[in-house]
Amino acid sequence: MRAVILDGIVLGLAFGLLGVGMTLVYGLGGVVNLAYGQIVVLAAIVASLVMNEGVSTALAAVVGVLAAAGVAVLLDLTLMRPVYREQGEERILLGLLLTLGAAFVIGGLLTWRYPTGALYVNISGEPISILGVPMAIGSIWASVIALVVGAALLLFFGATTFGRGVRSVIQDEIGARLVGINPSFVRTVIFALSGALAGIVAITSSMSGPLTVNAGFELTTFALIVTVVGGLGSVAGAFLAGVLLGVVNTVSAHYIGQYITSVILLGAAALTILIRPRGLLGR
Amino acid sequence: MALPRLGAVVSGNVGRALVPIVAVAAILAVLPSVWFGDSPFTTSLAVKALVFAAYGIGFNLIFGCTNQLFLCVGALAGIGGYGAAILTDETSLPMAAGVAVGTASAAIVGGLLSWIAVRRSLGVIFTGIVTLVFSLAFANLLLGQRDLTGAETGLVVTAAPAGLADDRVGAYYAFAGIVVAFLIVFRALQLSHVGWAFRGLRDDEMAAELAGVDVARYRIYAATVGSAMIGLTGALYAYSSGFISPATYAFDQVDVRVLVLAAFGGLGTLLGPVIGAATFAILDERLSTSLELREVTYGIFVVAIFLGFRRGVVHAVVGVFNRLFGRRSRGRT
Amino acid sequence: MRISGGPALLEVVGLAAGYLGERVIDGIDIEVRTGEAVAIIGSNGAGKTTLFRAIAGLLPSMEGRVVLDGKDLTGRPAHRISRAGIAYVPAERHLFPAMTLKSNLVLGAYPNRPDRETLELVYDLFPRLQERQRQQAGTLSGGEQQMLAVSRALMARPRLLMLDEPTTGLAPKIAQVAFEALGGLKEAGMTLLIAEQQVPLALSVADRGYVLENGRIRLEGASDELEQNPEVRRAYLGVA
Repeated sequence: MRAVILDGIVLGLAFGLLGVGMTLVYGLGGVVNLAYGQIVVLAAIVASLVMNEGVSTALAAVVGVLAAAGVAVLLDLTLMRPVYREQGEERILLGLLLTLGAAFVIGGLLTWRYPTGALYVNISGEPISILGVPMAIGSIWASVIALVVGAALLLFFGATTFGRGVRSVIQDEIGARLVGINPSFVRTVIFALSGALAGIVAITSSMSGPLTVNAGFELTTFALIVTVVGGLGSVAGAFLAGVLLGVVNTVSAHYIGQYITSVILLGAAALTILIRPRGLLGR
Repeated sequence: MALPRLGAVVSGNVGRALVPIVAVAAILAVLPSVWFGDSPFTTSLAVKALVFAAYGIGFNLIFGCTNQLFLCVGALAGIGGYGAAILTDETSLPMAAGVAVGTASAAIVGGLLSWIAVRRSLGVIFTGIVTLVFSLAFANLLLGQRDLTGAETGLVVTAAPAGLADDRVGAYYAFAGIVVAFLIVFRALQLSHVGWAFRGLRDDEMAAELAGVDVARYRIYAATVGSAMIGLTGALYAYSSGFISPATYAFDQVDVRVLVLAAFGGLGTLLGPVIGAATFAILDERLSTSLELREVTYGIFVVAIFLGFRRGVVHAVVGVFNRLFGRRSRGRT
Repeated sequence: MRISGGPALLEVVGLAAGYLGERVIDGIDIEVRTGEAVAIIGSNGAGKTTLFRAIAGLLPSMEGRVVLDGKDLTGRPAHRISRAGIAYVPAERHLFPAMTLKSNLVLGAYPNRPDRETLELVYDLFPRLQERQRQQAGTLSGGEQQMLAVSRALMARPRLLMLDEPTTGLAPKIAQVAFEALGGLKEAGMTLLIAEQQVPLALSVADRGYVLENGRIRLEGASDELEQNPEVRRAYLGVA
């Protein structure tokens, strides 16, 4: 049982990291980035291509993350401009449609060019025993990275001027403009950050197993579930929801079954919307 | 000014209102002789286009008219399809019973989802997510209950009469009839007090509510009728194709297409889904190359369209028409 | 009537603005000199908020110019106008509800870090704010929120402070206190532009005023002149 729970926490931290990227963009501008999973896959493919050229894993990881951030900025500067010009439901619908189109383009190109593409970051070393359970080195690395990134994000949003500025745009955009904050610039930076986070997720989740080129839609779905359960725009919420859902996932998959597990996770999102729409830590 | 009630449409308007539908019916009637040329491939393409047009009209009623983002078109069609197929395969009831049960089941589920969304005041995104969750859960349900549904290996559907199942053109005419029937229903609703309520609801929900429109009731009504349409189409498709599997009604196969084609054609318009379905059928035919490249082109198309035609083809065409002929827009298509 | 003498800090010339193609305000000429307090008086729907939103950059102008200390700010987005030195406190305040009072203030100085001196100035002006620094802004009372909104605007050390109906939602006694504080700010050298329905309060602090009616300037003059003006008295002071 302990092993299952610890595995759940490892998975959960990856979920959390995945959710943070999406929840930030969603909280900032009401845009659900349906291309998010594809950006993760893009980072994975870029990293694996670079690694195949003989580059060290660490450097390849950095390249992957930068590539993802770059694509995210590109998306923001092109597709997101017309989306943010709309308001309310028009914005939501346009955001969904344009990011969906982008998802097709990115996903389609990647699966066409690299149909067998996958990233597997193999970290050599003996399993380390945590609470009596032997955990693979890869899982431990992934979890530590996720925790460090999470802490850095909380510090960033809590203590830095720009980070506070981001939170202010989420809470009251007009108020933010009145104190001199440019919401457009903030959105671009955060979009880039979400891309970078997608890249990091690609690296960490490939430490426990290969990340394949067609994982895009599934990743987007997980990100969305975590975002909804955690609460719009909340970094801590995304991590909390991620870990909870990760544990539920592994426990349920272990003791009940795969299909029911998927239904349970999906149900968690639906239940949150119906019972507590603001999520765990949302406003 | 008396508002026409459902079933009592003022005769002067009827003629004008039915023109687009009659035009579509005429085109559909002659299409096989003009275009198909005995090619089973083209016929299948046309059938598929009609099926998606039918899905689209139902979706249009739910989302285009009452702003409920139901990302469960595939699931509703699946309820219709699997419901009908399982019923007729397990018992010896005729196809009509299967279709009836399938349609009713989809209508009930759709109405229920709408009722939940209304009760909890879910906005567009949350309705979308809840219905998406329902879609994915339904897909998992199909896969999990292998005894009943055959899971990935699918279900063979046998109760269809000869004219439908073996004869592709028979299926074509059946679905053409369905599409025309749906268009008539849609038009009738548009012209009645229901359509008046829909327009108010779309423009400004709060104002409509204050003006006495029972927004909740009209939403649930639209969702039920639209879901019935989708379920009926799904059920009929099960019989005409003779074989269904979870992939037939999967989210990425059905919902994504329907959303894009309905938005492309023009949400809330009468002919939007038909134009959208036809366009994407032609697009599919031209792009018969690799599946992945097709996906890429699809994506580029979607992005290009929505950067340009925000409100869909029908509105764009009407806009051009009005500008050319200087007529004041009547605001209804 | 052109005001002669002294350079204007804010000059609004021929400004027109509105929504969906309709002009709500038109042909607006306003001047505010450094150190002055100017009131914009008018009833609901006269266009006061539209005017302020247009000056602050929240609403695009359809015609005319907005010039601050010789610099043309017309058409600039709101955040640029804020950084140029115009601080706008709207009637809805637009505070950051889930952040502490202190964080709200700190953000007022964006992009700079708040300087100790300004913070102390604000706390001297409104001691209640210092008491409640750690409280979430959304849980403050109406009067405290108003104080916070004004203070947040002050944190940027603006050249011009614009307030739209600062007494909105305030009990009469608190409204009085609020205007006394504004008077204090004026004494300290702050340039103020205040839109207010409650004419006596507005004219108690203002040097000059403009009467806005149906989107146009109807009257302008020194505040005691306006107070004596029979039309103003009839329309806004309830005197027959």
